[in-house]
Parts: sequence; C-alpha cells; structure tokens
Amino acid sequence: MANRESYTYPSNSGFGNDAMQGVSSAGVTVSYICGECASKVALSKNDPIRCSSCGHRVLYKERTKRMVQFEAR
Amino acid sequence: MSDSEPEAMAEADGVPSTKLPPHLELRRTRVLCKVDAPDNTDTIQYSGAYASLGHENSLRFADFCKDFRVDITRISDDDMELDMVGVDPSIANAFRRILLAELPTMAIEKVLIANNTSVVQDEVLAHRLGLIPIKVDPRLFDYLSENDTPNEKNTIVFKLHVRCEERGQRLTVKSNELMWLPKGSEFLKTSESLTSTSKPETYTSFTCSQDSMPEFAGNPIRVYPDIIISKLGFGQEIELEAHAVKGVGKTHAKWSPVATCWYRMLPEVELMEEIEGEKADVLKQKCPAKVFEIEDLADGRKRATVARPRACTLCRECIRDGEDWEKRISLRRVKNHFIFTIESTGALPPEVLFTEAVKILEDKCERVISDLS
Amino acid sequence: MEHTSFGDQRNATFSLAEEDHTLANALRFTLNQDPRVIICGYSIPHPSEARVNVRVQTTGDPAREVLKDACQDLMLMCQHIRGTFNKAVNDSRMKSPPDNDSSQGMDSD
Repeated sequence: MANRESYTYPSNSGFGNDAMQGVSSAGVTVSYICGECASKVALSKNDPIRCSSCGHRVLYKERTKRMVQFEAR
Repeated sequence: MSDSEPEAMAEADGVPSTKLPPHLELRRTRVLCKVDAPDNTDTIQYSGAYASLGHENSLRFADFCKDFRVDITRISDDDMELDMVGVDPSIANAFRRILLAELPTMAIEKVLIANNTSVVQDEVLAHRLGLIPIKVDPRLFDYLSENDTPNEKNTIVFKLHVRCEERGQRLTVKSNELMWLPKGSEFLKTSESLTSTSKPETYTSFTCSQDSMPEFAGNPIRVYPDIIISKLGFGQEIELEAHAVKGVGKTHAKWSPVATCWYRMLPEVELMEEIEGEKADVLKQKCPAKVFEIEDLADGRKRATVARPRACTLCRECIRDGEDWEKRISLRRVKNHFIFTIESTGALPPEVLFTEAVKILEDKCERVISDLS
Repeated sequence: MEHTSFGDQRNATFSLAEEDHTLANALRFTLNQDPRVIICGYSIPHPSEARVNVRVQTTGDPAREVLKDACQDLMLMCQHIRGTFNKAVNDSRMKSPPDNDSSQGMDSD
C-alpha cells in the first residue's frame, strides 16, 4: 500500500516526491457525503465507515475540485 | 387571343423569341398538384427546350432584371416574409441552404466547469449552453482555429455562478444569469512550475477589455434571456465559464443564425367550371384555410370564388372526394414565385442575414472563377 | 481541377472541392441558360466528401470559358438580387416605420 502515495503526477509541487505533500499519509482526511442525510463526513484511513450524524453506512464521494472542460456539442 | 401568330420580340442579340401556346406555358411555369402527387415539378432550364417552336428558353440578364422583383410582406426585428418573383428554385434553395448552414454566428463552444452539483449532468449542461443564441454581430469577430490563442478578437467569455440557498424552493437558472466577462477568463490555469511568472495565467489571453472596443462600449453583449438552463435544489451549485467562438451551421447546428428559414411557391387555385349553389357552400366548408368565398349573383344564385389563394396549404381537401371535385378545381404552384420566411435568432436582423447569404453565394462564384483562371 | 482531353476543349468535367448542392445546382441552372451549352450536369461522387463534379459540353467554345461566364452570370444575378432586396426593404421601412423600438429607450414621458 506504500505505492499509493508515490503517484503524485497531477500536483503543484513539481516532479519527484516531496516529503511533505501537505499532510502525512497517516492523516489524510477525505470528505464524503452521507447517502441518507447528505451531510459531510470526514474520514481518514482506518476509520469506521459510518455517517457521524445518522449512522448510515453508504457514503458517496464528493465531486472533484479539478476544473473539467467540455465541448458544447 | 390568337396563339398561332408568334410575336417576334427582337432581343438584344437579334434572336426572336415567340410566345408559347398556353398549355405549354402552363407546363413550363406551373406545378400541377393532383390528388396523389404533384405533377410537372421539373423546371425546364435548358435553353433549347422549345427550340422547335421557335421559343428561346434562356434567361438573358436583361430579361431577368426586368422580371425580377422583391415584395416584403412583413418585416420586424426577428423575422420577415418576402416574395421573390422571377428567380429559379435552384437559386432560392441556394439562399435557403446558405442561411441555414453557412452564415457564421457566435455560440458557446468550450465550457469550463468548476463546480456542478445540480441534477443536470456536466455534458448535458454544456450542450444546453451551446444552444443559447448570443446577440452579437459575428462580423466583428475572427474565427478561432486550433493553433490560435483565445483573445478578445475571437472569443467571448461568459460566467455562470448560481447557488440555491432557499430550503424547499427550486431555483430556476435562466440564461439571463450568464454574465459577460469583457476582460476575459477569470479561472486560473494551475501551472506546473514553482517559479511563478509575474501574473497567473487564465484560460484566455485578452490584451484589452472588450468593453473598450467602440462596438461594445455601453452596449454589452447579451444572450437570449429567459431560456431555462437548469433547476437547482437546496445546496446545489453551478459554477462555470463558457467561451463562445465563431462558427457556421455546417459544423454544428448551434451556429445557425436562423431559427429556421423556409420558402414555398405561390399557390394558385383555379376553378375549372362554375361552382354554384349548394356545391359552393360545400366547397367553402371543406377548405380549412378559407381559400374560397361565396359570391352572390344578381339573380339570387350563389357562386364560389377563390378569395385567398395565398393561404392555400395544399391539404387537397377540396379535391379529395372523388373525380368530379378533381375536375372542378385545379391546384397549382407558380414555379418562379417564392414566399420566403426568415426567422432570426437575434444575432443579426433578418434583412442583414439575407444580404449576407447573397454575398456568400457571390463569394463562392468568385472562388470558382479564380480557380479556373 | 479540370479533366478534359487535350485536343477537344469543348467537353470537360470540373471537379470543385469544398462545394455541394448549394453552388452546383445554381451553376447548373445558369449553365443551362447559356445557348452554347449542349449538356450540363453535376454529381457528388460521395456524400462524405465535399466535392462536386460539373460536366459541361458546349457547341464550340472551350468549356472553361463557358463555365466562367456562367459563374459571372450568377454573380451578376446575385448582385441584382441584393440591390433589389435592399431597395425593397428600405421602401417597406419608409412606408411603415418600425414601431417596435424596445431596444432604444424612448424617453418621451
């Protein structure tokens, strides 16, 4: 699983691996959306997968922050 | 009128032209619309078609100028209807094809979506944005080809940023929420180099604001308002930038400057025999376009007349019910009289559209001539 | 691009690139009206390719000149149509001045 962190291509910090990607691998929190109450849930690695407010166990990933380009055709 | 005596009209080059007998003139100039199908639809273009009768079928330019006329039935900012008399269907069709497919306009081509949490998918949203008419004169802009950078001469940038804040209410996003950005794109391109240049790059490179150009100073570029783009529920947001470029309808229908444009030939309805009394009433009832009227004769009889032949839609109701009705009424179209309707989407007024279409046909001819020389 | 035999300039096929029925049908009409033309016609070899083959056979003049004259005639017709149309629009505007000036603010009140 250590390979996962080495794929860093689309990043602002240029080529090669920076030791500091912003956060260390153990504490990366990703924000998800609960399937039932639509509230945001922040989870990091090895957290139980449950909504913090309603306890529902299906979480959806948020839309990417990257800019997407479409042709209007 | 005696048809057997040819009237020799001396033409400019001394070729006499005789008048055709009426039945041949009918075949030459009218389309006969029978019950099952139209008859005699071909235009007899060949100059020597009636050579054996001594009739010169060619259209000299002087004759064309004499017979050609244009009558404007109605004209407004958005659409117009005109009658073109004395022109061949191939040329009328050429104008129609050019109006639909080869007149340039501006339309949204690139959509940069920063955030879209609405129920409308990204690509559907982009497709809808592309179809919105942009009310700007396309002649002020250049084409953007693949190697060009988008600048103020070839791109128009719009921004859309809406968010639904009210609980329990749907927010309708209409096209008037598209804001024109005269200074160009505001989204920054994330560059890879750590050493940043003096100014962060955006997706367009405008050297000056489009506001400062005389055509747009005080006259902002607008899109057609009141078109529903999307609907948002609580918490949903759309943030995007749309870049509009110049193109022609041939590439994609969004660049067509006309809502549509069509022509029809002038209808001619003739009663082959007198229709009187009850039959006249029946005839008047039959026609859904109210082409026929009843005329009262002096001695109490009623007669049917053709009051509004122009309204005829060729539904053929009047000749449908049997052979005797077919004999009585002749539905025809005049082959060289066209009723053109042009509906503009707002970029250019319809009369300018027509003039530009004629200019494009002239340019095509010139290109062929220069290729041949 | 013209395909003709070396000696006989009267009959030729002209292959026009980037054209379609729009120009070709109108050219066919003006060619037909020229009394020097015996036969003229056009075809589109394949609908996916924008190319038109115009065939002209004349009574004696070189086909290239006849085609050029036909293009000139078409241009003259277009110019006349444009002039007549503009005049008709101006006449109709003068007869009934446009009353839908919603874009221009009328500050009469």
